[in-house]
Amino acid sequence: MTGGNDPERRAAAALACMPGITPARLAALFDQWGTARAALAAVRAGDGAVIACLEGRRTPLPEAQRIAARWRTIDPDAVVARCRARGTRVWLDRDECFPIQDEVPDRPRVLFGEGERFDAFDAPRVAIVGTRAATPSGLADTERLAGALAAAGITVVSGLAIGIDGAAHRGAITAGGATVAVVATGCDVVYPRRHAVLTEQVLGHGVIVTESGFGVGPEPGRFPVRNRIIAALADVVVITEATERGGARITAEHALEYGRTVLAMPGSRRNPAAAGCNALVADGAHPLLAPSDVFLALGLDAPTDVESVWDSAPPAHVSAAGRAVLAAIADAGATLDELCARTDRSPATLSATLRDLEAAGLARRERGRWWPV
Amino acid sequence: MLATIRSATLVGVEGRPIAVEVHISDGLPGFALVGLPDTAVRESRERARAAVLSSGLPWSNKKVTVNLAPGDVRKSGPGLELAIACGVLAAQDALPAGALDGVGVLGELGLDGSVRPVRGAFVLVDALARTGVTSVVVPHANAVEAALSGDVNVLAVATLGELRDCLKGEAAFTTVPRPTNTDDTGRGDDAFDGDLADVRGLTVARRALEIAAAGRHHLLLVGPPGAGKTLLAQRLPSILPPLDPHEAVEVTRVRSAIGGDPPRALARRRPFRAPHHTCSAVALVGGGSGKPSIGEVTAAHRGALFLDELGEFAPHALEGLRQPLEDGTVRISRAGGALEFPADFLLVACTNPCPCGLPPLRCACRPGDRDRYRRRLSAPLLDRFDLRCWVEPPGADGSRGESSAAVRERVLAAVDRQRARFAMTPWDRNAHIPPGAIDDLVDATSDASACWRAEVERLALSGRGAARILRVGRTIADLGGHEHVDVAHVLEAALLREDVP
Repeated sequence: MTGGNDPERRAAAALACMPGITPARLAALFDQWGTARAALAAVRAGDGAVIACLEGRRTPLPEAQRIAARWRTIDPDAVVARCRARGTRVWLDRDECFPIQDEVPDRPRVLFGEGERFDAFDAPRVAIVGTRAATPSGLADTERLAGALAAAGITVVSGLAIGIDGAAHRGAITAGGATVAVVATGCDVVYPRRHAVLTEQVLGHGVIVTESGFGVGPEPGRFPVRNRIIAALADVVVITEATERGGARITAEHALEYGRTVLAMPGSRRNPAAAGCNALVADGAHPLLAPSDVFLALGLDAPTDVESVWDSAPPAHVSAAGRAVLAAIADAGATLDELCARTDRSPATLSATLRDLEAAGLARRERGRWWPV
Repeated sequence: MLATIRSATLVGVEGRPIAVEVHISDGLPGFALVGLPDTAVRESRERARAAVLSSGLPWSNKKVTVNLAPGDVRKSGPGLELAIACGVLAAQDALPAGALDGVGVLGELGLDGSVRPVRGAFVLVDALARTGVTSVVVPHANAVEAALSGDVNVLAVATLGELRDCLKGEAAFTTVPRPTNTDDTGRGDDAFDGDLADVRGLTVARRALEIAAAGRHHLLLVGPPGAGKTLLAQRLPSILPPLDPHEAVEVTRVRSAIGGDPPRALARRRPFRAPHHTCSAVALVGGGSGKPSIGEVTAAHRGALFLDELGEFAPHALEGLRQPLEDGTVRISRAGGALEFPADFLLVACTNPCPCGLPPLRCACRPGDRDRYRRRLSAPLLDRFDLRCWVEPPGADGSRGESSAAVRERVLAAVDRQRARFAMTPWDRNAHIPPGAIDDLVDATSDASACWRAEVERLALSGRGAARILRVGRTIADLGGHEHVDVAHVLEAALLREDVP
């Protein structure tokens, strides 16, 4: 599957790794010449139609000429060798095992995949995506939900971004399940840097999928485009926290377009990270109120203990003072000042209770606010 | 003919006694001034000559040599002029023999013979007094300041002619008695009066301000604009304890050495300096090329330095703060020797968490923007703050808190306890306890120690951070009137050391 023996696969991989190639330009080449081999031959021959293709994709003529000139020098064998060395799998959209099963608009023509668990695609897939500016509560809920799904053998799909995506992958990996990360960069580029370790773990417990060729960096335009692949790969899309405008909403919109079920976790009106989810629910997404909702959406029976995953009642060993503070925090972040006002206690007396809650993993402090987790 | 007059010059914030030796000999007329004079001192020759002649007194036509001893100290400032003129007169026998024995002379001269004020008279008179001088001749404008030191007779003169008449016995010196301590609030300090009751809400930040004032722990307030950080910090002077007697002398010395209005009484209130963030590194810390200047940190010695918009200060300036924050002094090394300025100040700083100016919950910054803004404040600098708090706008339900008077009472009580604790030691506040002495002076219960160890591990604190929690815990215990540092105190200290920004 790495493209050595199949000339069509070899050509497709080479085309997808050309410098300056984008999914739109690749699709244009395929549409023009029908097969990857023919397109590759035209590109290497310096066919004028290549430039016309680029111009058709709103590239100005001088730049199109420059790009086409660079494309003439691609070396398909080098690309194949690299795929072999890294163990990268190359999927073509006509493959039987292409990860996206149905005909969706703007279907990617070529996908690259690296990792240890290609069997992750055989299980039901749930995408969990969300904002980078997530609250500790949202991160905790996401991690637990992903863990519950993974434990039941469901593959968790996400984008390896900071925030909710990272929590989703972590939850799945901790529960010993499989996870698929769809990234906007090439397979060989680690982004964001903070997730270097997580990337390694995802490779070990799942697959990293991308439409971009080797060496492609985190160009801003590629992120909304890769979100459509997340939506296409999944059977059900879950948004736990999203701001009003962001990538998570784009993914949800693609999902609705592709006919996937979208579940969004409603939140407090005071939490900016819940605004996007609340708006999605208003637009027709299902509200996600319990982990069993996801199983229902998949048409599966929920495991018996799944409700305890999001158990919001504090455990029995928490003191009365602790319960009072947790109640005061409610589910939005509370500053120490607000807690002092709500519980009518001084910072001195609150400190011990808050520290105990933090140690018990029931509350966390971030940027001056306390959150229930 | 040789005459020696005692005088003094300002080196940093210290006074150095100088002997002005004047030698007149036969030979071609000339005037040589030696002893490492700076430009102002070298100009003294012209002013002294004109002043002497204007007063109708003789100026020698022979070879005059003036030596400012010791010869390896840079003499600066025009304050040696009166002494030089007296020396020239004495060497010509125009003054009674022995009239100026044991008498220090300070003053700048005008071309008409009038005596002008000098900078740092308090410091200079003090230096002269230590060398055994019994009387000091000073300009009128410096008379009260000079009299503050109390050890010498202060003789005020207005003109060179008056000085000669008095020395000859034809007139009487105007003596100035030591002033009783009038209410000296210090220049500009009134601008920062206010009451803590003016601040609504901000319970935690107020508590931190109280702890900072009691134990002299450095405080950092982080929050969006309009939260009330500046308002709160400007009320710090209203809860600071008054100066101890030895601190008052130090503050008066610094104020005297800086110049401006000469102090008329020993300082009673602690200085409160609030430089603008366009301040350069030299203006903030001191030093600079040529004569080392006195920085804001020295002007805030024994008082408080308030840096608003900490992130806007030049990084070079902020890094220069690290040494004084640790040591309490500023050491400026030069080829000619090292100079040490006192800089024991309480630092209160405010900063924003991110450039968008919105509260952290609604922050619209991209993570990259926020990180870049954070990096303006280096981790070692942040580490030196014992107390770090988030401050958010109080909202409509912010209640009016305690008045400054109530808080000040607790602060003063805590200061008394510290005074008793540190009576036999060279330190005077909890924030200054060195790591080696923490075990002895911070009387923590065994539960508290165990809790402290757990917190240090949980928060992954450095050695410095761990020590700071104990010091702050000790201050919290003092404010509550407790003898031992308990678990609650340690926890509150850990809570007030939030991860900012």
